[in-house]
Amino acid sequence: MERLRRTLRALLQRALIEHGHNPTALVDIIIESAAEPRLWLEFANGYRTSALLRPEDCFAFCETHGTWDLVSFRVALRREAQQLYLLMRSEQARERELRRTSLTEQVRRLGRGLAQSLRSRRVHGFAETDTAWFIDDYGSAAHERGMRLLKEKLSCEQLKQYERNAFFEVIGGKTGRRYRIRYGRSMNIDQLDKNGRRICGWCFFPRGNLVAGDVMLSQKVALELFEPEALKVANKIW
Amino acid sequence: MSVQIVMDRSGDTRHEFDAADAKAVGLAEARFNELVGKGFRAVALGKDGGSDRLVGRFDPKVEETLFIPQLQGG
Repeated sequence: MERLRRTLRALLQRALIEHGHNPTALVDIIIESAAEPRLWLEFANGYRTSALLRPEDCFAFCETHGTWDLVSFRVALRREAQQLYLLMRSEQARERELRRTSLTEQVRRLGRGLAQSLRSRRVHGFAETDTAWFIDDYGSAAHERGMRLLKEKLSCEQLKQYERNAFFEVIGGKTGRRYRIRYGRSMNIDQLDKNGRRICGWCFFPRGNLVAGDVMLSQKVALELFEPEALKVANKIW
Repeated sequence: MSVQIVMDRSGDTRHEFDAADAKAVGLAEARFNELVGKGFRAVALGKDGGSDRLVGRFDPKVEETLFIPQLQGG
C-alpha cells in the first residue's frame, strides 16, 4: 500500500512541479499492461506522467480495497490519487502562502531596520555638532567642505577633467595603471586600459562614513602613494 | 603656519600650528602620533604642483599634512 502511495505521490509531485502555480485536474489513470506494466497519470491539460508498476507494490493495495480485477483496481487507484492530489495541492498552496507572508515580513523588517538605522545616525549627527549636517546630503556643509578640499588637492588637469565629466583619472604610483575615479563614495573606481576602456572596477574607501569629496580624495591619494595596500583591501568588480 | 587636515564626517577638521612655537609643535606631534596610532595615513601635501608623499614620522617642517582614515573594501 505504502509503496504504491509513494509512487502516486512522486508522480503527482512531478505534475505539480511541471504545472507551477496553475495545477490542473487529474482526469484519468491508465494501467498499461506490457512486459513491464506502467502506471500512467493523465491531466486535464494533456500532461501525462508514468512510473513502473510492480505487482508486489499492488498486492497490499488490492487487499485493502478488495479489488481483484483491473477495472475495480483502476477505480480504487483513481479515487486514492484524487484524494492525494487534493491534499498535495492544498499543502502546496499553504506553503506558497507561508513563503509569501515570510517574504513580506522580511521586507517589512528590512524597511523597519533601515529606517531605524538612519534615524539613529541622524540623531547621533545632531548630538555631535548641533548643526544640521549629516550623511552626505548634497549641498550640506560637510559635503561642501569635502568637495572644496578635493578640488584644492586635484592637479590642474584632474580638476579640469572633474569639472567637465564628474570624474578624474589617476595613475597608479606603483604599477602605472590608469584609474578613473567617478563622483561617489563607493564602487566608483574603474581601471582602464591604454585606450581608456574599462577593464574592471575597484571598491575601497576610508572608514568613518565620510563625504564624497573626502572619499574621492582618499582614493586618489591611496592609488598614487600606496596603491598595493589600497588594492589589497579593495574588492574587485568585473 | 602649518596645518594638519583630518578627514572626518564634517568634511575635515583643520588644526593650525606655528612651527616656531615649541608648545604648539608638541601638541601637533601628539596629535600626529595619536592619529597614526589609530590607523590614519599621514600625507604631506605638495605645494604649488609638488608631489604628495607619505610620512611615517612627525615632521614640523611639513606645511600641510592630510590624515586619511584607514581604508576598507566595499
